[in-house]
Amino acid sequence: MSKRRDILAIVLIVLPWTLLITVWHQSAIAPLLAIRKACHHLVKEIFIIPERLAVHHHRLSDDGAEGKRETGGQDSKEYCASDKDIVEVVRTEYVYTRPPPWSDVLPTIHIITPTYSRPVQKAELIRIANTFLHVPNLHWIVIEDSQRRTPLVTSLLRETGLNYTHLNVETPKNFKMRGDTRDPRIPRGTMQRNLALRWLRETFKNNNSQPGIVYFADDDNSYSLELFEEMRSTRKVSVWPVAFVGGLRYESPKVNAAGKVYGWKAVFDPHRPFAIDMAGFAINLKLILSKPQAYFKLRGVKGGYQESSLLRELVTLNDLEPKAANCTKILVWHTRTEKPILVNEGKKGFTDPNIEV
Amino acid sequence: MPKRRDIIAIVLIVLPWTLLISVWHQSNITSVLAAQKGNTISSRSDSRALKESLSLQNRDSVHVVRTEYVYIRPPPWSETLPTLHIITPTYSRPVQKAELTRLANTLLHVTNLHWIVVEDSQRRTALVSRFLQETGLNFTHLNVETPLNYKTRGESRNTRVPRGTLQRNLALRWLRETYPVNFSKPGVVYFADDDNTYSLQLFEEMRSTKKVSVWPVAFVGGLRYESPKINALGKVYGWKTVFDPHRPFAIDMAGFAVNLSLILTKPQAYFKLRGVKGGYQESSLLKELVTLSELEPKASNCTKVLVWHTRTEKPVLVNEGKKGFTDSTVEI
Repeated sequence: MSKRRDILAIVLIVLPWTLLITVWHQSAIAPLLAIRKACHHLVKEIFIIPERLAVHHHRLSDDGAEGKRETGGQDSKEYCASDKDIVEVVRTEYVYTRPPPWSDVLPTIHIITPTYSRPVQKAELIRIANTFLHVPNLHWIVIEDSQRRTPLVTSLLRETGLNYTHLNVETPKNFKMRGDTRDPRIPRGTMQRNLALRWLRETFKNNNSQPGIVYFADDDNSYSLELFEEMRSTRKVSVWPVAFVGGLRYESPKVNAAGKVYGWKAVFDPHRPFAIDMAGFAINLKLILSKPQAYFKLRGVKGGYQESSLLRELVTLNDLEPKAANCTKILVWHTRTEKPILVNEGKKGFTDPNIEV
Repeated sequence: MPKRRDIIAIVLIVLPWTLLISVWHQSNITSVLAAQKGNTISSRSDSRALKESLSLQNRDSVHVVRTEYVYIRPPPWSETLPTLHIITPTYSRPVQKAELTRLANTLLHVTNLHWIVVEDSQRRTALVSRFLQETGLNFTHLNVETPLNYKTRGESRNTRVPRGTLQRNLALRWLRETYPVNFSKPGVVYFADDDNTYSLQLFEEMRSTKKVSVWPVAFVGGLRYESPKINALGKVYGWKTVFDPHRPFAIDMAGFAVNLSLILTKPQAYFKLRGVKGGYQESSLLKELVTLSELEPKASNCTKVLVWHTRTEKPVLVNEGKKGFTDSTVEI
């Protein structure tokens, strides 16, 4: 009888202590070390958060080095006693003008946006950045059509707080769009998108186990937040309707009862291999990496066939995954922005050219 | 001897279980608190609360570190920040939903925002109603239809009502009917058209408006931007524009914000409906509210552009033909 009691006592002792030790080991070593240092380093040490967020919290505790904070909704109580006694740090941080925290389980969405200098460029980039700031695990690849990366785009990208890569390649002038269709021309953005594809292949070539999705997002379209969650589950290539393309309210893949794409609901050349707009599909990163020869064709591409020139190297019609409720919902609009009237600038310019627009 | 052993055994049992229970208790409380904060905001369920609750007890000190990151869109309400009442007139056309979507994506970042959407329609449409609900924003949905004879371009300038006027005036009236004259909660009123582009910084600049604040606007008046002229004292003394710089307030609708108390204490101030020359609409309201010297320049003394008067092209829908090609029940 006493033997059973002994065994019971031993179990009751060993069990909780084992639990405690594993919990303590897992979570307490790092903060314990951090607590020994000054309190305001606490956050940075404990949590693996993107650098910009860490810097943000640095500001909270009196480190005035970083730039201005955009909103004032802080609610933090903090005091640091000497590191021998009771140290209680309770900090509630409302972070809402910065991207959500990185998740270890969500696939990364690599958004490829070609861009070029024109008056509305900054406005366009700011308003899509405001959309992207809501999307977790987003990596924005911005490629300028320019000889050099411009200061405007450089500072804009930095100020958004987004996770980004900034590239550039200049489309040679004789390749740029002209009115005459017989001219050898490359559709706008092609070289920039191809550069991004090459960058992905060079960056992730070794042992890439990180799941990722590649999406081409032009800087003047409109995107709903739901779209990004739809594309996250792409296994090979996923597709959905796009508004305001092909002279229609929207173009859409045709999906049969088995949930497979069998055609294209379009008026303009519905017999293209992939009668879909650039904004209407996303590709799994693995597919991009495993087919390194697949690029957008540079020359000799008929209008409307650019998307096909890439997709036919990657996938067959049958492999396509319809999203957006089997392609019945519109989650992206191919909006275009008017060219602003600047006639009153005159020849010499009226406004201060040092003020960035 | 057996007694001591028993005591040791009891201590070794009780101590860890007490610890475990207190840790479990604490982590549960934290999650309840986070959930409570989430409940006070609108229903959008996109909250990601990343929290860590660590506690370690040793004999000398108690280390409790709790840091809670709350990524709720829209951000939680603050008791101290003034509310921004954003008035957006809107009307049905193909790009309406796209415009509202991308504007909402911007507004979802702004704390203490109240979006007043006023449709130019006979009835509040299903599209806008559904849309507003799904954003999770704090909103008020109104409508008033501009009578057709006010809209037509054929009419002489004197009878034409600039687009959005009736809708903006309705929003002003709603504010005056909803809030008492001596309303204690601070607020700022801003007119945001659904096709402009707004930086997040703009909303923080306007929050400190005491009477009427002003700043530059891009792509208006045929220029890269129009701007107030600021003297060395930080006062507005004129307008840097080419088109009629002698207007009382040569400023675009998107270039100023008005303190709510000013709106409430001057209940006769509205946008003039008729007989307003092009470009004078803003003046018709502002001259009832404030004088030039009372204006507060923002955006680094009006040297930065934080709002762009972008316009969206009308989409080409020629392939719809007469009968329509696409499914009309699919909303765009």
